[in-house]
Amino acid sequence: MKRVFSLVLLLCSYPLSVAAQTGIYQHGTVVRMHMGDCMIGRHGFMATFGGPSVPAPQESCPEYTLVSDKVVFVIVGKSSNQLIPLAEIIDFRFRNGEVAVRVDDAPREAKFAIREMVLRPEWDRMQERLQEQMRASYDQRSDGQFALRARE
Amino acid sequence: MLTLKGLVLALVTLSSATESPVPTYHSWVSEVRLTFFATDEQNQSVQDIHPGDFAVVDNEFVIRKFRSFNRANETTLDTVVLIDSSESVLPHYRKEIAEVLHLISQTQWLPEDKLSIASIGGSEIRTICSRDCSSSFMSERIANLPTGGLTPLYDAVADSARRFLEHRDPAVRPVIILFSDGKDTNSNTSFRDVAETILQSEAQVYAIDVNSPKDRSDGTDALQRLAQISGGRYFTIQDGAAEILSAVVDDLHSAHVVTYVPPASTAEFHTVLILPTHNLNLQFRCRRGYYDPGSLGKKRSP
Repeated sequence: MKRVFSLVLLLCSYPLSVAAQTGIYQHGTVVRMHMGDCMIGRHGFMATFGGPSVPAPQESCPEYTLVSDKVVFVIVGKSSNQLIPLAEIIDFRFRNGEVAVRVDDAPREAKFAIREMVLRPEWDRMQERLQEQMRASYDQRSDGQFALRARE
Repeated sequence: MLTLKGLVLALVTLSSATESPVPTYHSWVSEVRLTFFATDEQNQSVQDIHPGDFAVVDNEFVIRKFRSFNRANETTLDTVVLIDSSESVLPHYRKEIAEVLHLISQTQWLPEDKLSIASIGGSEIRTICSRDCSSSFMSERIANLPTGGLTPLYDAVADSARRFLEHRDPAVRPVIILFSDGKDTNSNTSFRDVAETILQSEAQVYAIDVNSPKDRSDGTDALQRLAQISGGRYFTIQDGAAEILSAVVDDLHSAHVVTYVPPASTAEFHTVLILPTHNLNLQFRCRRGYYDPGSLGKKRSP
């Protein structure tokens, strides 16, 4: 029995250890996170004939902006408690149209749906524009609200 | 628990060499100070926490670089116990009073600790004693409280939080222990206003739900939200005074304080969340946000 159990364990952990050893993981940093709408995407037979979808309609799911060298992903968890450890660098890879994130050094991955993908240079430009807009509104605000004119 | 330090920087700009100098004063939040508590998967306090163990999510932005990280240096408690004595809690009132008395008598109050007790019932909030309630003769007064009437719950919580704001001392932890069914029936204060006042006062709410577990209502939801927003905890009356007391004392001894530069934002209210960076079994509890007084952006409710 023990041997069977060990074999099953070995088989289960094999793909992950191979992934780690062959270096197929990409590296990225989560820069933003919020709780948003869950992505309820199902296809095929279950979508047509299956019961109500999981998660519940009011449930919110964590949404992360994951920045890698070349691409920026917006990924969504499948339930409210599917969290990514927010380390400086996280390992992830594509798997069946999803992003599989390695959770710490544990032999498991968490799978996330992809909501958006943007090329890194384009995302950088968008961020710069946002920063400029923010600065402009901040300056405008400061001038309008906090400027005190000292009159002699 | 969480304070904002506004810096006022005077920038003197000369519009031209010939005109008189026109000083312009800009104000912004330069630092956020956040007190938090870490627990493991068994909800036990974790005291050995390092800056690399967590990240702060401030208005969606993940912050990993902190200005400072220390153990909290609050050593004494300023506690307000609010006892709901209104009509709706009467079926559970005996149990409620027994737990209140147990909590007060079992706590080893330090000479510097302050304890106030008030009851909520009818159209008013009755102060039973203020700041020095740990003496034994209070038991009789609490046991003989008048009962019945409406529940100005949010008014009572907001009043207590405002009192903390007036007497804020960084060395003292403000705590509200609220025994109630959570059903507000007679307040001028809205839930949003009471939440805002709690956040400003930095008080933690320990909400004790006197409803029976099978009788959950909107009141239960309100109590849970008050506890969650403030970084406090929610209990049911069945948990007992010992458990509640242990939670308050645990929090007093296991708190950490982190300070950081907030992300640029036009939002007046910043939501705050602390999440682990590597060990997903760690859970972090802190208040759910703060107000940026310098911001003129859209207001979001906590």
